[in-house]
Amino acid sequence: MISIKNLHASIGEKEILRGINLEVKAGEVHAIMGPNGSGKSTLSSVLAGREDYDVTEGEVTFNGKNLLDLSPEDRAREGLFLAFQYPVEIPGVSNINFLRTALNEIRAYHGQEEMPAKDFLALVKDKSKLVELDSKLASRSVNEGFSGGEKKRNEIFQMAMLNPKLAILDETDSGLDIDALRIVASGVNKLKSKDNATILITHYQRLLDYIVPDFVHILYKGRIVKSGGKELALELEAKGYDEIKKEFEIAD
Amino acid sequence: MANEILEEHIQNEYKWGFTTDIAADEAPKGLNEDIIRFISAKKNEPEWMLEFRLKAFRNWLNMVEPQWAHVHYQKPNFQDIIYYSAPKPKKELASLDEVDPELLKTFEKLGISIDEQKRLTGVQSNIAVDIVFDSVSVKTTFKETLAEKGIIFCSFSEAVQEHPELVKKYMGMAVPPTDNFYAALNSAVFTDGSFCYIPKGVRSPMELSTYFRINASGTGQFERTLIIADEDSYVSYLEGCTAPQRDENQLHAAVVEIITHKNAEVKYSTVQNWYPGDKEGKGGIFNFVTKRGICLEDNSKISWTQVETGSAVTWKYPSVILKGNNSVGEFYSVAVTNNYQQADTGTKMIHIGKNTRSTIISKGISAGFSNNSYRGLVQIKKGASNARNFSQCDSLLMGDKCGAHTFPYIEIKDKSAVVEHEATTSKIGEDQLFYCKQRGIDNEKAIGLIVNGYCKEVLNKLPMEFAVEAQKLLAISLEGSVG
Amino acid sequence: MSLIVDNKSAVTQNLLEQLQKGSGKIAFIPDAEIISAIRHLENKGIPNNKHEDYKYCNIEAVLRKEFKSVEQSFNELTNADIAPLKLEEAINLVVVNGNYNESLSEKIIVKGLTVKSLKDISSSQKTLLSSQAKSDTDALIALNTAFSNNGLFLDMEKGNVIPMPIHVIYVNSGNTEIVVNTRNFIHIQANAEVTLVESFFNTGSSKVFSNFVSEKFVGENAKLNCFTFQNEGPLSYSVNTNQVKVNKYSTYSNTTTTLGGELVRNNHNVELAASNCEVHLNGLFITKGTQQVDNHTLIDHQMPNCESNELYKGIAKDKSVGTFNGKIFVRKDAQKTNAYQSSKNILMSDDATINTKPQLEIYADDVKCSHGTSTGKIDTEALFYLKARGIGEESARKLLLQAFAQELIDKIEIPSLQERVLHLFEKTL
Repeated sequence: MISIKNLHASIGEKEILRGINLEVKAGEVHAIMGPNGSGKSTLSSVLAGREDYDVTEGEVTFNGKNLLDLSPEDRAREGLFLAFQYPVEIPGVSNINFLRTALNEIRAYHGQEEMPAKDFLALVKDKSKLVELDSKLASRSVNEGFSGGEKKRNEIFQMAMLNPKLAILDETDSGLDIDALRIVASGVNKLKSKDNATILITHYQRLLDYIVPDFVHILYKGRIVKSGGKELALELEAKGYDEIKKEFEIAD
Repeated sequence: MANEILEEHIQNEYKWGFTTDIAADEAPKGLNEDIIRFISAKKNEPEWMLEFRLKAFRNWLNMVEPQWAHVHYQKPNFQDIIYYSAPKPKKELASLDEVDPELLKTFEKLGISIDEQKRLTGVQSNIAVDIVFDSVSVKTTFKETLAEKGIIFCSFSEAVQEHPELVKKYMGMAVPPTDNFYAALNSAVFTDGSFCYIPKGVRSPMELSTYFRINASGTGQFERTLIIADEDSYVSYLEGCTAPQRDENQLHAAVVEIITHKNAEVKYSTVQNWYPGDKEGKGGIFNFVTKRGICLEDNSKISWTQVETGSAVTWKYPSVILKGNNSVGEFYSVAVTNNYQQADTGTKMIHIGKNTRSTIISKGISAGFSNNSYRGLVQIKKGASNARNFSQCDSLLMGDKCGAHTFPYIEIKDKSAVVEHEATTSKIGEDQLFYCKQRGIDNEKAIGLIVNGYCKEVLNKLPMEFAVEAQKLLAISLEGSVG
Repeated sequence: MSLIVDNKSAVTQNLLEQLQKGSGKIAFIPDAEIISAIRHLENKGIPNNKHEDYKYCNIEAVLRKEFKSVEQSFNELTNADIAPLKLEEAINLVVVNGNYNESLSEKIIVKGLTVKSLKDISSSQKTLLSSQAKSDTDALIALNTAFSNNGLFLDMEKGNVIPMPIHVIYVNSGNTEIVVNTRNFIHIQANAEVTLVESFFNTGSSKVFSNFVSEKFVGENAKLNCFTFQNEGPLSYSVNTNQVKVNKYSTYSNTTTTLGGELVRNNHNVELAASNCEVHLNGLFITKGTQQVDNHTLIDHQMPNCESNELYKGIAKDKSVGTFNGKIFVRKDAQKTNAYQSSKNILMSDDATINTKPQLEIYADDVKCSHGTSTGKIDTEALFYLKARGIGEESARKLLLQAFAQELIDKIEIPSLQERVLHLFEKTL
C-alpha cells in the first residue's frame, strides 16, 4: 500500500527525518512509537504534505503513485487520511457541510457522482454511532468549542465517512480519558478491513491494548531503530525510552 | 498555478456584464433646474414634488462632496451625466406580454423572473418584485395579491400619483434632502424607485423585492425607496443590483428610507453586485448611497443586512435612528473587495429612546489591491437610558497588497448605557487550509468554505434564496485572490 | 462659510501677535523649520472641532474664549515652591514656564547622562532636533516650534543604565493669562536604560495654556520607561504631544495618569521604525466638573516582528468629557505585527460624555491586530453583592471604581508616585 524508502525531511536548516524505511501492506496495522522529538509527528505531516517541511531525499510510493508529487488534497483523494494530533477549529463551517464538501470532492476525483443528500445523511447517522458522537456535534462548526475527546472522536468519525485506504492516527490517544480511548479504539477496530491499513503514531503503549498492531516500530532521532511484533511495545513499556536512548545514541 | 487561477478568474469575472439593446428615452446630459423640471414633467408630477426637487437642488449647489471616507477616486463630473433614461416605449404596461421581450431576456439572464405564474406554480418561494431598469420602474409583480392585504407596493412614480398623502408625509423624514451631498443630489433628480406601505396589523405574506439595473451608458441611477410599516406590521424587503461592464465609471446615488410605527418590524436585505470595474481598476460603479431608517415609535425594529461584493467605490452607511422606546436596530454586513475596489461602509446607530438596543456585526474581506474600511457611529443621546450596543467588526486580509481598516466612532452621553465594541484583523489560517486539503478539498473550495464560515453570522440573517446567491457571489468575488 | 475661515485665522493671528511680542527667541531650532511652522499656522490655523483629529477637542474655541488677553507675565519660583512636587526616590529636575531651571534642579552625577538647556546643545546634538516633531503635521507642534523657550535636553550614552528614575517637574506659573510652549528632547542611545517621570503642574493664580512637545528617541536595544503625571488644576488647558521613535529590539513604555486640568489633550505618536521592538502605552483618567480629557494615540508599525499594547481606562463624573482616539497603523512591511488596543470607560453621571474611536488601518496580512472598547456604568450586580455583605453604597462604589483602575495604578512602579496617584484618585472619587 505504502512504501517509504530512505525518507529525509527537514524544517529550515534542521534535519528531522534521517532515512525512514517502512513498508505497509493492505490489512496491516503498524504502530510507530518513540520519545518526544523523535520525528513521529513530522513523519505524519510529511506524508500528508504539510508545506513547512522539505523532503531532501528518498521516495514514497502510495498505491503505485509517487506520493511526494501529489498536492495534499490529491493525497487525501487517493485515500490517505491523517487524524490530526491537534484538530483545527474552523468557525462558522458546520461539520456536515465540511464533510459533504470533502466527500463529494473525493468522489469527483474518482469520477463518481455527488452523493445524494438523503444517502449522505443516512451515512452520517450510521457513522456517528460508531464513535458515539452526539448528532448535535455534526451540525456544529468544525471542532469549534469541542472538548479534547470530542475532537478526537470527530477525527475518527471523519475517517469513517471518508473511508480511506491508509489512515495515519497521530497521537490520537493523547489527552483522552479511558472511556474516550475505548470509544476511539473500537471505532478504529470496526473500520479495519483487509483492504485498508492503519499507522498508529503514539507515545504510550496504552492505545495498543485496544488496537493490536501487527508490527511495532521504534522511531528515534529520525530513524526507525528497531522493529518487531506487538511484544516490542510491551518491552518498551517495561524498560522505558531511556534504554532505547542508551542503545541507539547517535551523534547529532 | 497562481496565474492559471487568475486567468480563470478573469474569464469568470462579472457574469452580469451584458448590455441590453433597448432604445432609451433620455434627457440631455447635465444638471440644472431645467433638467429637473424636465424629469418632473416627464413623470407628470404634482407641483409639491417639483418644489421638493428644486429645493434639494438649490441646497445641493451649496454643498461639497464628502472627503472623509477612506476612498480615492476621480470625482464624477456632474454635468456629464444623463439624469433620466427610460426604456422605450414608455407606455402603461397592462400585462406581462407587453413588456419588451429584450427586457424580459435581460431579466432572465439576471435570473429574475417577472412571470408571476411561474413563480406561483414553481418551486421558488413567493417574492414580489419591483424592477428598476436604469431610472424607471418597469414592472411590479404580485401587486394584486398584495393589494388584497392592503399592502401598497408600487413604483415611486406611481405612489406620487396614487398615494400623494403618504409620500408627502414620509418622504425625507429619515433622510432629509439636506442630509448630505449625494442625498441632496438624489432628492433633486431621482427618477423612480420603489414604494411600500404595510398597513396596521399586516404581516406581508411574501418578501418584497426591488431589482436595480443600470443599463444605458453615460447615465447615473438615482432611485429612491420608501418603506413605511404601520403599527404591528412586518415586512422583509430584498434589494439586488447589477450593471453592465463598461470602461467608464457610472454613478449610483440612491436613497432608501424606512419608517416603522409602534411594534412594527422591517428587515431590509441587500445583495449589492454592481459592476466593480476590471482587474486593472478601470470602470465600475460609484455606489454612494444613503440608507436610513427611523424606529419612530415604541417596540419597533429595523434590521439591515447587506452583502456587498460589487462597485468600484462604495460609500454607504445604512443607519437606524432609535427614537421609540424599546426599539431595536441591527446591522449585519459582509463587504468583500478585490482587485482595485474600495469600500467605506458601516452604520450609524443613534439611540434616543429608552431601552433601545442595537447590534452591529461587520465582516470585511480584502483581497488583491483593494481597500476595505468599516466606519460606524454609535451615539447614545442623553436620556436614552439603558441603551445597549454591541459591535463586532472583523477583517480578513488575503494577500499583502490590500488594506483593512476599522474606524468606529462611539459617543456616549448617558451613564446607564452599555456599549461594547470589538474588532479583530487576521488572515485565513494556514492550518485551517491544510486541514481542509487533508480532507480532499482544494485551495479555492477551502477558501470559499472558510470565508463563508467566517461570514456565517451575517449570511444567516439573509432570506434563504438570497443567502444562496450571496454565498456564490462571495466565492466568485474572491476567485483567484489566493494562489 | 467665509465667516468661519476669517474667525479661525483671527484667533491664530491674534495669538501669533501676542506671542511674538513677548518672545526673546533662542534659536536652537533651525530657521527653516520655524518658518515652516509659522506658515503652517497661518495657512491652517489652530484646529477647531471641524478638524477630524480635534473633533472632540476644540482648541481654537478654548483660545478664543479663555485666553482673550495673553500678557505673558510669569512668576519666579523658589525651592520652597518646588519641594512638595518632588519625588523622593528620583533625581528631580525642574522646568519653569518652559525653561530648564538648573538652580532649582538636583545635581546629578550619573555615568553617561547629559542634562542641559536646549540653548546649550552642540551642533551635533542638534541634528535630530525637530526631526520627529514636524510642524507640517500638526498646528500645535507648529505653535511650539515657533515659540518654544529654553527647554530640556536629556541624553543617555550607549550602554548606560540609570540607577534611579529621573523626575522632570514641568511647572507653569503666571500673573496673567499665559501661553507656555515647553519643549524637550530625550535621546536614549543604544543599549541604555532610563526610567523617566514627567509631572505637570500649574502653581500660579492665572490661566495657563500649556503646549508641550517632547521628542523621544530610543536607540537599538535600549529601554525607555516613562510615567506621565498630570495634575495641573482647574486653571490649566494643555496639549501634550509626545513624538516617539523606537529602534531595533528597543522597548518604550508610557503610563499616563490624568487627574487635574480643565482641558488635557494628549497626543502620543509612536513610530516603530525598525523590527523587533516593543511599545506599551497605558492611560488612566478620572474627570469631574467640566473637565475634558482627550487621549490620542498613533502606533505606527513600519517594520516586521514588533509588538504594541495599549490599555486606557477612564472614569467620567459630573459634566466631564473623556475621549479616547487610538489608531493602530500597520504598514505593508510590518508583517508578524502583534498589536492590541483596549479602552474601557465608566460613566458616573448622565451629564458626562465618553467618546471613543479605536481605529485599525492595516496593510499587511500576516498580523494579529485587535481592539476592544467598552463603556458602561458600574457593575450593578457587583455593587449589590458588596452591599449584601454590609458595605455601604458609597464605599462599595469607591471600591469597585478603585478595582477598575487598579490594573493601571499597578503599572506605576515608582512607590512615591504610585502613592501620589492613589491618594489623588481616591480624593476625586
